[in-house]
Amino acid sequence: MRIGILSIAHLHAEGYQANLKSIPGVDLVGFSHEDSEESRSFAEKFKLPWFATHQELLAQGLEGVVICAENARHCELVELAAAARCQILCEKPIETSLAKAETMKTACEKNGVRFMTTFPMRFATPTQALRATIREDKLGKVFGVNGINHSENPSGHRAWFANQALAGGGAAMDHIVHLADLLRWCFATEIVEVYAEIDNLFRPGELDVDTAGLLLVRLANGVQASIDCSWSRPSWYPRWGHLKMEVIGERGAAVMDSFAQHLTVYSKTGSRNPDWVGFGPDPNQPMIQEFVDSIREQREPSVTWNDGYQALRVVLAAYESAQRKEPVKLDH
Amino acid sequence: MSAMRVGIIGTGTMGGVHAAAWQAIGAELAGFSSSNPAQTEAFAQRYQTRAFVSYPELLNRVDIVDVCTPTAFHKPMVLAAAKAGKHVICEKPIALTVEDAQAMIDACRGVRFFVGLVLRFFPQYRSAKELVTAGRIGKPAVLRLKRVSYVPQKTPEDWYFKDEVSGGMVIDLMIHDFDYVRWLAGEVERVYALKTSPAAGLEQYVQAILRMRNGAIALIEGGWANPPGVFRTALDLSGTDGLIEWSSDQPSPLLTLVPPKPGETAAVGLPISGLMDDPYTAELRHAYQCIQSGAPFEISAEDALEALRISLAVKKSLESGKSVKVG
Repeated sequence: MRIGILSIAHLHAEGYQANLKSIPGVDLVGFSHEDSEESRSFAEKFKLPWFATHQELLAQGLEGVVICAENARHCELVELAAAARCQILCEKPIETSLAKAETMKTACEKNGVRFMTTFPMRFATPTQALRATIREDKLGKVFGVNGINHSENPSGHRAWFANQALAGGGAAMDHIVHLADLLRWCFATEIVEVYAEIDNLFRPGELDVDTAGLLLVRLANGVQASIDCSWSRPSWYPRWGHLKMEVIGERGAAVMDSFAQHLTVYSKTGSRNPDWVGFGPDPNQPMIQEFVDSIREQREPSVTWNDGYQALRVVLAAYESAQRKEPVKLDH
Repeated sequence: MSAMRVGIIGTGTMGGVHAAAWQAIGAELAGFSSSNPAQTEAFAQRYQTRAFVSYPELLNRVDIVDVCTPTAFHKPMVLAAAKAGKHVICEKPIALTVEDAQAMIDACRGVRFFVGLVLRFFPQYRSAKELVTAGRIGKPAVLRLKRVSYVPQKTPEDWYFKDEVSGGMVIDLMIHDFDYVRWLAGEVERVYALKTSPAAGLEQYVQAILRMRNGAIALIEGGWANPPGVFRTALDLSGTDGLIEWSSDQPSPLLTLVPPKPGETAAVGLPISGLMDDPYTAELRHAYQCIQSGAPFEISAEDALEALRISLAVKKSLESGKSVKVG
């Protein structure tokens, strides 16, 4: 199965290329990317062919592509890939506006290709165990969820994350989607109301996007949840950040720290000291496997365009709420 | 300096905690008074002191009154003590309304008046505050505070469950973290909060977002929602230059994995396990020394009033479903 990576703007391309290579029968044809300096170093580091334009890579007879472009360039690449009849795995958030997300859907439908959103946390064993706990009703009626997706400021690694035009926003655009999706997935329901305080509190005057955000949301089933999407971990934090969900219900509580399995490493060299080095399973591997399986089996992937779209709606509602200083309702 | 005489009004959870602290400090615990004569007698025996048959009798025999009654009775107790010229130490929350709190502050102009916002005396919270003040996290940006306990193990008729007596969980429990955030980052601009409770039962879970006037934002989580005996607290203070994290989940020096036997759960959760210094003793020692020396308290009664004002704004947001401006 011939697969290509369209753009390596997103750091996750590094992990995905390794995931793809490790799957028997997958032929990772190469990657396309405009920036020649970034491309040369990526090609050398991972021993991969580089295509200077996306069209050149798409001309290689691919069955599927993984799109790791900047958020606001997803639509453009999805349209190209769909026209080339490639099955699509697209980075989150799927786009920066609902209109562009809908254009992507139309392009896929018109060309008969399927679209999968990268929500790797659905494939992490701790989140799967948490979801089972909720669905088996072990906690009784759930009161609420305290959701945390903290990280360092990713623009230290890739500047576009803090570029309004390319990213569509900052921390809120980057992080809300993961927990919004996990809430929808764990409770099999939709988010119907969003209140948010969003601001650039960490790098005022330096970056033109938000870096801090707190949300309170309501689910259609009556559960309330908070989402902290802040880029609040300093670059000297022992890890990039974390994803945590604490669910509290009538009969008990479940506390999930999805990256809790880590060693604490104190080293004379290295960018972090101490450094939390994970030893748990990599959730990206089963996610990439699901994409490959969905192509082989010619079926809808388990994470769909609609999942990416609903998560994006929550992000945009959060920005609207932060502007209006009042909760914003989402119709379903 | 000779020991001052302290009388405790109220013989519930805090009356006992304070009695032990006063004896550790070396004050003269003159006795107890409460609306429950049998309980007053039992406390007097346990702490080897007197049971006063009435509050006026207690007032005649003490220098300091320590008010540990249910919150709704704070005001009459404080006013009577001030009228009798006694110094007053009052448990938090100061009162249930801003008007009552102001009346208490006004009545105590001639005596010392201390409100026990004990969280400021917990070593990890105090240390975190000192680090923030020293600029170690830069400008505070996102402040996260957790205080999720279990439903007080009391009969449903107990005062804890009467909103008009305790103010409910938001005022009784979450006020600690409202005060703490204000201590760290100053005044609050607006609040928005959500609450979920079961159709039947006393559990409740509340999350509140505070926007501070200096721009910082805070998430305060409070609840009577955990299984009996489980009380989790945490702080996560991030700023422009750094971060301070602490959680009661962190491994304690001794990890006990024995489930509690029926009835072994403390009636009301107090987050003091595993601490070297009892914060209640530290708090009362501070108040006692300031009264003896005439030095100002670290915490003013106005601080207690402002913490109440934030709590009331959160309750108002819960009722209205809207964000509420504070002050």
